[in-house]
Amino acid sequence: MKNTLYNAPYFMKEAGRVLWQNRLSSVFSFLSTGLILFILAVIVACWSVGNLLIKTMQDEAEISAYLDRDIGTEQVLELIETIKGMEGVRDVQLVDREAAYGRMKEILGDEAGVLELFEENPFEAFIEVRISLGELEKITERLESLKGINHVRNNREVLERVQSITIGLKRLGYLIVTAVSISTLVIVSHMIRQGIYNNRVQVGALRLLGAPESFIGFPFVLAGLLLTLAGGLLASFVIVFLVNRTYSAMAGSLPFIPLPARNQLVSGLLLFVSSVSILLGVLGSMFGLRSTK
Amino acid sequence: MIKAKGVSLRYPDGTLALKGIDLEIDTGELVYITGPSGSGKTSLLKLLMGIEYPTSGSLKVMGQSIAKGQEGNIRRLRKRIGPVFQEFRLIQGRTALENVMMGMRFLGIPCRQAKENAKSALTRLGLEHKALSMVENLSWGEAQRVAIARAVARKPRLIMADEPTGNLDHDNALIILDLLTSFRDTNTTVIITTHATHLIERQENATFIRMNGGNISVERRGKAYEEYLV
Repeated sequence: MKNTLYNAPYFMKEAGRVLWQNRLSSVFSFLSTGLILFILAVIVACWSVGNLLIKTMQDEAEISAYLDRDIGTEQVLELIETIKGMEGVRDVQLVDREAAYGRMKEILGDEAGVLELFEENPFEAFIEVRISLGELEKITERLESLKGINHVRNNREVLERVQSITIGLKRLGYLIVTAVSISTLVIVSHMIRQGIYNNRVQVGALRLLGAPESFIGFPFVLAGLLLTLAGGLLASFVIVFLVNRTYSAMAGSLPFIPLPARNQLVSGLLLFVSSVSILLGVLGSMFGLRSTK
Repeated sequence: MIKAKGVSLRYPDGTLALKGIDLEIDTGELVYITGPSGSGKTSLLKLLMGIEYPTSGSLKVMGQSIAKGQEGNIRRLRKRIGPVFQEFRLIQGRTALENVMMGMRFLGIPCRQAKENAKSALTRLGLEHKALSMVENLSWGEAQRVAIARAVARKPRLIMADEPTGNLDHDNALIILDLLTSFRDTNTTVIITTHATHLIERQENATFIRMNGGNISVERRGKAYEEYLV
């Protein structure tokens, strides 16, 4: 420890020298490590958004109960009271034809002009029932059996589709994470092996002078760490830029997709990228060192 | 300081470099290992530095056993000796000062102290003006002196120099030998291998180990002989 402190500037200088000696290789390793870590960060960001989407959809599980065309107002009010009394129902709201039209107009935004192609309002009135997700099947069945309800629609299918996409994304993510980790380890360990080969005279001389292996190897481990940290920094810049652009774009055109808080997502990604780059840098260097013994 | 009993060294290709040698060297001795090329001088020095291991017999240097499986002991020993290699083993792309400091960085010496030691060693060897020169820009003789400075800056109790006069003209060879032998004054044991016997034949107060076909004969002269008898 004492030696490490005394020699901190020496180790930094030597690590810089190792990287400088193979500068072309260092630049390509830096770029490829940056790209790899960026891909990793994108995967993690997608996981984060996917998980939030599912959670939001689960929290907002709702059933739309469409009414018979000839139903009277009193009957509708009675239906609402009956539904309110069902177990698992959190909120009940009547959405009349005008309100349904208004909602669609809001969702379509700039494209709302297409609604004007209809001569009359094409939307039907319905009762919006917000429920606890666990009660979805039971309440759907009960609603379908009520007199005055024409048909019932819930967001189960959408929820299941999003869930399956997220699971697929996760599996793909694990695959990519594994591939990315192995690639980084190979790149870094190759760099270190090359560095040791280029400095074999120095390594040999230090061994003959009695230097411990930890002293000899430390600059190489540091070089690997600096390389992946620089790659991580590059990946961080690009991912922050991408997140900012995506948030700005989605805020305008896809406002109904829930996104995690931007700052929270960015800080989480930065922490993740820097931790992974440190871990991969140290491990890759250790593999490189070990393979030269 | 050094005790060898029945030490043999056989290389993997079957060459028998040393044949059951017995040897004792005390603290503060000046030892010349001489003999023609291929007589086993460098092999003996490699054994003493722990670069090779005896294939039979026992060898102890500064209390550390030199044998296979004793790598920890050998590394500790190497920290305490000052080796000067035949091919110098200086590190290119570094200054003379950095090369000398390199030998001390892992000894727990504070950086400032190591720098002082390195500067003072270079000064003693007449190289203070070359301290910041890259070693690849130094002459053969200067590079040799940097290698010696690296060995002595560690203030070792045992200096071992392999053919330090090789490739040097008569005058420079004498200067190098004088420099190396001067460290004996600090009660440091100095072992030098050389085939240039004409440079050392008049040397008094020294021990001569003559190598021939893997066998040795030891001659102690002057004070070395008297001390050996005691």
